[in-house]
Amino acid sequence: MWHKISFRLLKQELKRGELTIMALAIILSVTAVLSLSIFSDRLQAGLTERSSEFLAADRVLSSRRDIPQEWLDKAGQMELQTAWKVVFNSMAFSGENMTLVDVKAVSDGYPLRGELEIADQPFGQGYVAEGLPAAGEAWVASQLFQALQLDIGDSIEVGNSSFKVTKVVTYEPDVGFSVFTDSPNVIIRHSQLEETGLIQPGSRVRFNVLMAGEPGAIDAYEDWLLPRLNDDTHSWRSIEDGDSPLSRSLNRAERFMMLASLLGVVLAATAVAVAAQRYCQRNYDVVAIFKTLGADKKQIRRIFLLHLLLLTAASVAVGMALGWAIQYVVIEWVAQKLDATLPQAGWQPYALAGATGVISAVMFTLYPLFRLVSIPPLRVLHRQLTAGNAIRWLQWVLSGGTIYALLVIYSQQWWLSTALFAGGAVAAVILLGLGRLFISASRKAGMQAGSSWRLAMAGLQRRAAQNSVQMLSFSTAIMLLLLVIVLRNDLLEDWKRQLPADAPNYFAINIAQDNVDDLQAMFERENIPSTDLYPIVPGRLTHINGEKLRDEVTKEERDEDEAEGREGIGRELSLTWRETLPPNNELTAGQWWGDDAKPQVSVELNVSERLDIKVGDELRFNLGGEVFTVPVTSLRKADWNTLQPNFYMIFNTSTLEDFPATYITSFRLGEERKSELYELFKPFPQTSLIDLDAMIDQIREVIGQVSLAIVFVLVLVIIAGALVLVAQVQASMEERQKELVILRTLGAPGKLLSRSITYEFLVLGAISGLIATLAMEISLFILQNQVFNMTPVIHWKLWLVGPLCGALVVAILGRLSCYRLIKRNTAQLIRKLA
Amino acid sequence: MLIQAQQLEKTVDTSEGPLQILQPINVSINAGETVAIVGASGSGKSTLLSLLAGLDLASSGEVLIENEKLSELDEEQRAKVRADKVGFIFQSFLLVPSLSALENVMLPAELAGHKGAEKEARELLAKVGLEDRWHHYPNQLSGGEQQRVAIARAFVGQPKILFADEPTGNLDAKTGGKVEELLFDLNKDYGTTLIMVTHDQQLAKRCQRVLQMEAGQLSEAAQDVA
Repeated sequence: MWHKISFRLLKQELKRGELTIMALAIILSVTAVLSLSIFSDRLQAGLTERSSEFLAADRVLSSRRDIPQEWLDKAGQMELQTAWKVVFNSMAFSGENMTLVDVKAVSDGYPLRGELEIADQPFGQGYVAEGLPAAGEAWVASQLFQALQLDIGDSIEVGNSSFKVTKVVTYEPDVGFSVFTDSPNVIIRHSQLEETGLIQPGSRVRFNVLMAGEPGAIDAYEDWLLPRLNDDTHSWRSIEDGDSPLSRSLNRAERFMMLASLLGVVLAATAVAVAAQRYCQRNYDVVAIFKTLGADKKQIRRIFLLHLLLLTAASVAVGMALGWAIQYVVIEWVAQKLDATLPQAGWQPYALAGATGVISAVMFTLYPLFRLVSIPPLRVLHRQLTAGNAIRWLQWVLSGGTIYALLVIYSQQWWLSTALFAGGAVAAVILLGLGRLFISASRKAGMQAGSSWRLAMAGLQRRAAQNSVQMLSFSTAIMLLLLVIVLRNDLLEDWKRQLPADAPNYFAINIAQDNVDDLQAMFERENIPSTDLYPIVPGRLTHINGEKLRDEVTKEERDEDEAEGREGIGRELSLTWRETLPPNNELTAGQWWGDDAKPQVSVELNVSERLDIKVGDELRFNLGGEVFTVPVTSLRKADWNTLQPNFYMIFNTSTLEDFPATYITSFRLGEERKSELYELFKPFPQTSLIDLDAMIDQIREVIGQVSLAIVFVLVLVIIAGALVLVAQVQASMEERQKELVILRTLGAPGKLLSRSITYEFLVLGAISGLIATLAMEISLFILQNQVFNMTPVIHWKLWLVGPLCGALVVAILGRLSCYRLIKRNTAQLIRKLA
Repeated sequence: MLIQAQQLEKTVDTSEGPLQILQPINVSINAGETVAIVGASGSGKSTLLSLLAGLDLASSGEVLIENEKLSELDEEQRAKVRADKVGFIFQSFLLVPSLSALENVMLPAELAGHKGAEKEARELLAKVGLEDRWHHYPNQLSGGEQQRVAIARAFVGQPKILFADEPTGNLDAKTGGKVEELLFDLNKDYGTTLIMVTHDQQLAKRCQRVLQMEAGQLSEAAQDVA
């Protein structure tokens, strides 16, 4: 029987819109969570795929010695694709010319991820290669044509073999990005490796087996393989990206989305809580009547629980459908706009969204429901009777616990959740206090104002307790909105700054000293924007303050005695000299040398932290046998996100200028002028060029996707915030009704009443906006400092915008909500309240 | 004896100390009797009604319904007593706004788990002259109509006792008169015991007994009752 009653009540209440806010709030949180997590899942999967391309595989097994055939067979049995890639340095000869090249011997299937692109002419337009060079043929990089004075169809000799050059390699997915170490590449077939005679015991070869397959199969193979690996000779690499600008940008974006969607969910949950409380209050009479008519607590609990469950289930379902549709549309749009396909998401987003909807609906309604069930039947005679407040702590425990649980579920980080939660709790208490303070101040101000104002301020003061709670949720909503908007702008600005439209897209390296002036003249003549030319002298840092550094070139070469020493960089460094601090570098300690000719060095901040170097330390360098010691006179922060040469060690001119150096620069050459590249650089045959376009394009693409996602998050958070505001204003309307009736009955004109309500909300909104701005600045400072690694700034404009917008929005909402109330005639109102 | 009150007292705590609303009250009401409780505002009539109906508990003393002591029952058991034996009519009608007239009338029978609630409810609605308005919601009905629905609801399940709190208090004289007729007619038909709190001397006169409530004390006003 009870379920029939429950259905009937629900049907009618839905019709009358009593449950709209609650349903909307649940729908919104499910929609937001689902669409966002599917979106970020698919984005993530898409990026992983792209990153896999950078390995040309899902995993790479790499070794200094040959890899047992058994391991490859096992991979084959486990349905993984495999391909060989053996890499080594060798001299390549063509007629009189010779140069050092990176030989890459690959087998069929290479690359397993991404695509190899080739062209018919050096620096020509690349296209996707089908297959690999035929036996006896080689595909080589454009730079090699310069270095060996080659033409297509010529032969090059590598080891004992001769290869006919048939194509130009324009893009290798796994070429990596390292300005200083790459020699031009030569691709040959793996089957011809032996003939070259270059693979001898002791030769410096890296054997790689590329592997790709289903994630499950890869994990299973990994489990089988890892115990068999020898740490000293083997390495097993996956696509965990290093410290590239891409991964950093992405990391920030992901944190932002996580945080923003979390805030969205908290807002939506707040709306659920406010709406649920109001809904239950409206049903106090109904429960009292039910009880008077003989209903027991069990029946009432069932009736309203069923309500809640039906409402939740329906809202979650609608939210799921809506969330799926939204992400579908957005992803289609993104895919179209960015010309990329994104893989499907797994089941996790659905589970997460469903759980969020159910958790926020159930946990935030339990307490109001509990109170509802305990309404005494005597309320039918004494309308002022409500449920006792004895278990008010339960409400705090439930809602606090729920928010904390949601925080943990989303961030999957205990410390972050705890910090956010504790911070939020402290902020809430402070906000409550501030709210009260402001209200009492405005009351004093209102006493001197006109009658609408006086009425408004008196109202504010009288409802101080409710109002400060209300203000808390207004402030929170406004603050979160501001936070998300500002953070989004800062993030996007930060990215734009890193990748301006005229970012360099080529590095030119190995520029001979004699060519420096001519090259600069060429850049100027051809109108090609370029960065400064930096000299490079290779050298090793061997001692800090006389203490020898461990220098692990390779693990095999590690000298046991040295293992004890202080940690070094482990490789040869590119040292440079300069008179002025490079652009985008910032001194963090010490002083720049200016005209000081005494030998000295400036160290990049990250490296100084890693090696524990301080200003005043003495560094000993070894430059091709010549050893010298210099003091550190400054530390610099370099911006690694810009595509310009950056250096760990910069010396003053007098220290290094006598060493033989090559030069490096970066420049920008638009797509339309790429064909000129060969001619432009013909006079500089030793110079090697590195094309950054592929990398820049990828970063742009990702930033494009992420920016869209951020706009989307922003819209969701705004809707959630608006819902909280509407729910809160509606709830407060109930409280105002009685007063309105009395004033109306006493003959107060509608204008006076609506004005006083508008003013009341105006003041509430303005105060909330002010508090919100303050809270936003503080949280932003902490977030930018601790989470996003950005430089915090104060947003002066918002100190005006925050209170103004708060006042306007809240006043408009309040005015709209009370419009119907004031339009009713007094008799109707009295009857409604009776 | 259907209802008995023995040494019934009610005291509430106020900021100025305990306030005694009901002095010790003793009264017995027989099955089928119609009883009016009259008195000034604040004299304690409604409090007495709430105690007799088991909506509230006395500070001391006892209420017995069919010899069952209400003080020994918990809230759930008292709800059961109400579901089985008691009907209510209130001054402010107290219909459930989200239920139609028919659903409101069915409500007590459904809560008590009776079968055939709808049939009974339709018959009662016909008796109060609202057979055509069964699908209307309270906000679509006039005050008089709402009270007629409430009367129909009070009689559904044929309770032994009907408590009425100022049943015509919110209605104009003409509508009030009609509702009054209806109430007494149905009461006669069903042979229900009626206990009514009212200001209205005319209404009180139609009851077999009138009890006078004054400053928490109850006395039999046998004077000019017919």
